[in-house]
Amino acid sequence: MEHTKSNKKELLSVRNLVVEYTSGGEAIHAVNGVSFELEEGSTIGLVGETGAGKTSIARAILRILPDHATRAVSGEVYFKGKELLTLPENEMRTLRGKSISMIFQDPMTALNPVKTVVDQIAEGIRLHQKMGKAESIREAVKMLETVGISEDRANEYPHQFSGGMKQRVVIAIALACNPELLIAAEPTTALDVTIQAQVLDLMQKLQKDRGTAMIMITHDLGVVAGVCDTVAVVYAGEVIEYGSKEDLFDHPTHPYTQGLFGALPDLTKNVKRLSPVEGLPPDPTNLPAGCSFAPRCKYATDACRQAPVGMTEMTEKHFVRCINCGKEA
Amino acid sequence: MALLEIEHLKKYFPSARGTVHAVDDVTFSIGKGETMGLVGESGCGKSTLGRTIIHLLESTEGTIRFQGEDVTRLDKRGLKKLREDMQIIFQDPYSSLNPRLTVHDTVVEPLMLSKRFEGDALEAEADRLMDLVGIEKRFRMSYPHELDGGRRQRVGIARAIALNPKLVVCDEPVSALDVSIQAQILNLLMDLQEEYELTYLFVTHDLSVVRHISTNICVMYLGQMVETCPTQELFDHPLHPYTKALLSAIPTIDIHNQKERILLKGEINSPINPKPGCRFALRCPYATEKCHQPVELHEISEGHFCSCCRLNEIN
Repeated sequence: MEHTKSNKKELLSVRNLVVEYTSGGEAIHAVNGVSFELEEGSTIGLVGETGAGKTSIARAILRILPDHATRAVSGEVYFKGKELLTLPENEMRTLRGKSISMIFQDPMTALNPVKTVVDQIAEGIRLHQKMGKAESIREAVKMLETVGISEDRANEYPHQFSGGMKQRVVIAIALACNPELLIAAEPTTALDVTIQAQVLDLMQKLQKDRGTAMIMITHDLGVVAGVCDTVAVVYAGEVIEYGSKEDLFDHPTHPYTQGLFGALPDLTKNVKRLSPVEGLPPDPTNLPAGCSFAPRCKYATDACRQAPVGMTEMTEKHFVRCINCGKEA
Repeated sequence: MALLEIEHLKKYFPSARGTVHAVDDVTFSIGKGETMGLVGESGCGKSTLGRTIIHLLESTEGTIRFQGEDVTRLDKRGLKKLREDMQIIFQDPYSSLNPRLTVHDTVVEPLMLSKRFEGDALEAEADRLMDLVGIEKRFRMSYPHELDGGRRQRVGIARAIALNPKLVVCDEPVSALDVSIQAQILNLLMDLQEEYELTYLFVTHDLSVVRHISTNICVMYLGQMVETCPTQELFDHPLHPYTKALLSAIPTIDIHNQKERILLKGEINSPINPKPGCRFALRCPYATEKCHQPVELHEISEGHFCSCCRLNEIN
């Protein structure tokens, strides 16, 4: 497995991505210099808590950040060698939904309540693959069957489906044009565990069959363990730890990553009390000068608080944004 | 003696399309100082059961016994007395707090209504409570919208434990919170339980959380109780096919030991006018004709009850 992976071509490269919002005249530093790479057909997990900037990263890649609130976007996003942030809008529009598509957390708000599900799937097919109406509908029905919804429900409306079925429809829309990259933002968070298992299983199967690469945005380390090859832990708009799934789960190194694991009730261990990181993430309008985690970190020293902290390579391709990690204790 | 015993408890709702069997024949008891974890998926009736027990909803049939006394039907005065002993913490602390009351006023309200405290004693008790749940002094004059989710939940907890209740129903108290905040709140709940010998009925869909906090677990499916036993026993020897599927579906963080998932076909069906028999039968890989006869609980070993009629053939 490992060998075949390294022969794969790079599909997406995000370099030094910065997203700033504005609210009431104040600058909100949502994403602060995020970089990562993704190979064809593989899956990266962006893990972090609410407000860490995971969804802003995804939206910046697709260029669907809210216009009125976005103050500045900078950095580079290369998709198959093309820089997306400076691409003219009409070219970007041909990429969205065709080469890169996205699944959102809440399937109800992602679907159009007044169109039948088959029409919603056919819409993208018609737009991107230059098909006629009848042909696109046939394709859409095939797609519905791929995600496990029978043809006789094709002409129903979103409200007639349960949460899990709606999410299947959303997946069908996202994969209808065989995208090379799928961005899934918390795709199973709103679902029950047994339904979550069904949907994750379906996504992995389709991904394998079609060779789709995926950015999995989630707060659930269990989901990451199941589906991702590489993992980036996001905190206060920065990647604070980055490496293969094995690096991250076997050797979580950054104090914040360790805190995330300490906060999880583990099914295989019996602990009397959980050991979460105390406190809250920093205010994005007023980030600390040094390491953004320093105010909550029990190992923090004066050096941590003085200047921004860079990435340290611990082992090959396992990076940690901490100046104390790697030093002999 | 058990603090709370419920027997054959039912809660039905009328609806335009028929009767919703939200809770259908649930029997269990919780000992003092213990935590009963109530698990199941959306719509299985776990929240309704919690609310019926503390009389936020009136039960349809069955009995509720609290400290040995039958409290199934109570008049206004009896209910007021009971409510001091039974409290609830809701999932969404934002919609369960009055947006126009400050943190301080929210915590003071139950103390005042109980008429147990006055003047300086009242203020002192409110301060003690807010210290206890970890609300810092600078937030005490804030309104709910100025607080983050974790702090809001601390206010909800302070209010619930204000009058030293014996039983607290925790209705998904950490589901809306991020993992590190979730862990902080779970630790707080466990500390409070130790200190005041509180008894919890902990309603949640999260099995890892329930395993961490509960002494016993009751698994529900579409209003029916399918299995109940001590926590460790449930995770070591699950007997009901639904329990097994549910346990196998939990995403595990052990990357070297990914479990074989039992994938269930289909989705939860409707609780409106359900057919007799096991409601899981429609999705159950082992279902036969026999499963459509009325279900009853079997005691498999001491304290381990399961409703599956094909139990012995499957396990």
